[in-house]
Amino acid sequence: MTFTQECVIPVERARLWEFLMDVPTVGRCIPGVDTVEAVDGNAYRGGLKVQVGPIRIALEGTITVEEQDRSAWRARMRAEANDRRLGGGIRARLSLTLVPAEIGTRVQIDTDLAVLGKIGEFGQPVIKRKADTLLEEFARNLRAALVA
Amino acid sequence: MTRAVRLTVNGTPRELEIPTYRTLLDCLRYDLGLTGSKEGCGVGVCGACTVLLDGKIISSCIALAVFADGREVTTVEGLAEDERLHPVQQAFIDHGGFQCGICTPGQVVAAKALLDATPNPSDAEIREWMLGNLCRCTGYYKILESVRGAALGARP
Amino acid sequence: MNAFDFRAPRTLDEALGILAEQGDDGRAIAGGTALVTMMRQRLLRPACLVSLREIAGLDRIQAANGALRLGALVTHREAETAALIRERLPVLAETFRSVGSVRIRHMATVGGALAHADPNQDPPVTLMALGARVQSRRAGGDRELPIDEFFRDYYQSALEPGELVTGVTVPLLPPASGASFVKFLPRTADDYATVAVAAVVALEPDGERCREARIALGSVGVTPLRARAAEALLRGERLGEPSVRAAGEAAKGEVDPLTDHRGSAAYKREMAAVMVARALRQAWEAAQRAARGRPDAGAPR
Repeated sequence: MTFTQECVIPVERARLWEFLMDVPTVGRCIPGVDTVEAVDGNAYRGGLKVQVGPIRIALEGTITVEEQDRSAWRARMRAEANDRRLGGGIRARLSLTLVPAEIGTRVQIDTDLAVLGKIGEFGQPVIKRKADTLLEEFARNLRAALVA
Repeated sequence: MTRAVRLTVNGTPRELEIPTYRTLLDCLRYDLGLTGSKEGCGVGVCGACTVLLDGKIISSCIALAVFADGREVTTVEGLAEDERLHPVQQAFIDHGGFQCGICTPGQVVAAKALLDATPNPSDAEIREWMLGNLCRCTGYYKILESVRGAALGARP
Repeated sequence: MNAFDFRAPRTLDEALGILAEQGDDGRAIAGGTALVTMMRQRLLRPACLVSLREIAGLDRIQAANGALRLGALVTHREAETAALIRERLPVLAETFRSVGSVRIRHMATVGGALAHADPNQDPPVTLMALGARVQSRRAGGDRELPIDEFFRDYYQSALEPGELVTGVTVPLLPPASGASFVKFLPRTADDYATVAVAAVVALEPDGERCREARIALGSVGVTPLRARAAEALLRGERLGEPSVRAAGEAAKGEVDPLTDHRGSAAYKREMAAVMVARALRQAWEAAQRAARGRPDAGAPR
């Protein structure tokens, strides 16, 4: 499934870019992420916990930054994570673009997400809603981290 | 973690120490050797695991064995009396209500429960009651005939 | 399934105490039809199951103050067959009857269905159209929530951790009104709905204009929902094919269905309009019969 999300952060673009390219720091702003550690230059290992009602999903995997184009203010990432207990996982390609907004910067995230196995049975709108909720909280955390 | 469970199975009191996660179906099949009830789907839909709990049909594959503590369970093995088949069992033979037989224990137990509650059911009532017992072989026609036959046969 | 501790308290307060002790590790179980299935699929792995099955007094069906009250441990089968419900709220008996198979209905409870909060279930849809109120208890005490506020998200009710549904109060229909439940099941008879609609139409005393309509839908969002825009269209209107169809179309804009093996989101949206119109026609006819003083011919077969 593909979808696009947006949020506006009241911070100017260059500063936001620097912050977003620091993956471990950004990881800490995502609700449900515990640790993010570098594996090598572009790859990071981490975990994400999400809940659907009483069902707890614990994804463990890697995120790789495939491209960072500061001149175009665009970055592309690939993520792969599994929940070994439930027997399912996600494969995602993300493209992040920063565009100046009236106040600060608009972050546009284009995601191409495949949800595999048991988790995939929840259906797209549930997953999309979870992604929207995650983004809302992520944006709140970003603003809190950057607007001191 | 295990738990002591006292239940009556086909009229016989039994006492077991079983893991809490044991389903009633697994308890009947493995702890008690009553393999008449089958596991078809494992999610309570197909009816191959149908047993009576205090006289009511349930899906034993999604019932915990501990639910049967202090209660009565009837399986297909408990329908015949001594050497005499239950009228429902006899009707399934007489009317050809089974082919491979895997769904049959569930069909028979469900049909018995129906006739206990409604001795003279209409076709619509039979269909509605039995809709949760799936069969891959017969196309259901002979199952319906068997239940009708059992109802007719039982009338004085 | 995982290994778990199994407790079978005899009182509600004992059950609440154990759940409070266990916190995240504990879950209540009644009929178990949803819970055991999810545990078998390893979607849930509670360390402690607190069975409510031995608690007395939660399985009553009573009539009082113009309403019926169903205890949380009333099974679907009991609700389907109870004379009180068949006579006074036949639409509710019919709705419980439409759930799954008899085997499921012998175990699944009213309280469990509410707590499970699956938008594909039938009873919440009719309960919502009837304006039911859900009673629950936690360590701090009892509370009651209108059912419109009870469902928060997919599999998520307003219940707090360790809180248990104790019952549901369902108001009887006002005079000159009728109710209907339509379950669109294009696949197997024991499945969840592709779309389900419950409608209540209350007429003005003259039996011509609609005083109020309540329309609830299931399987078209992450929770059961009310089609309030469609309801508003009907208020004060003389009902007929045009208004009923318009309400159906309005409902389309209020649903957000999930694509699954019962239908695509687009298909469910189209069918929502059709089934809302169908449910409104039936409820309106029942309301007209009631307005003319005839006994409700919409009783269960």
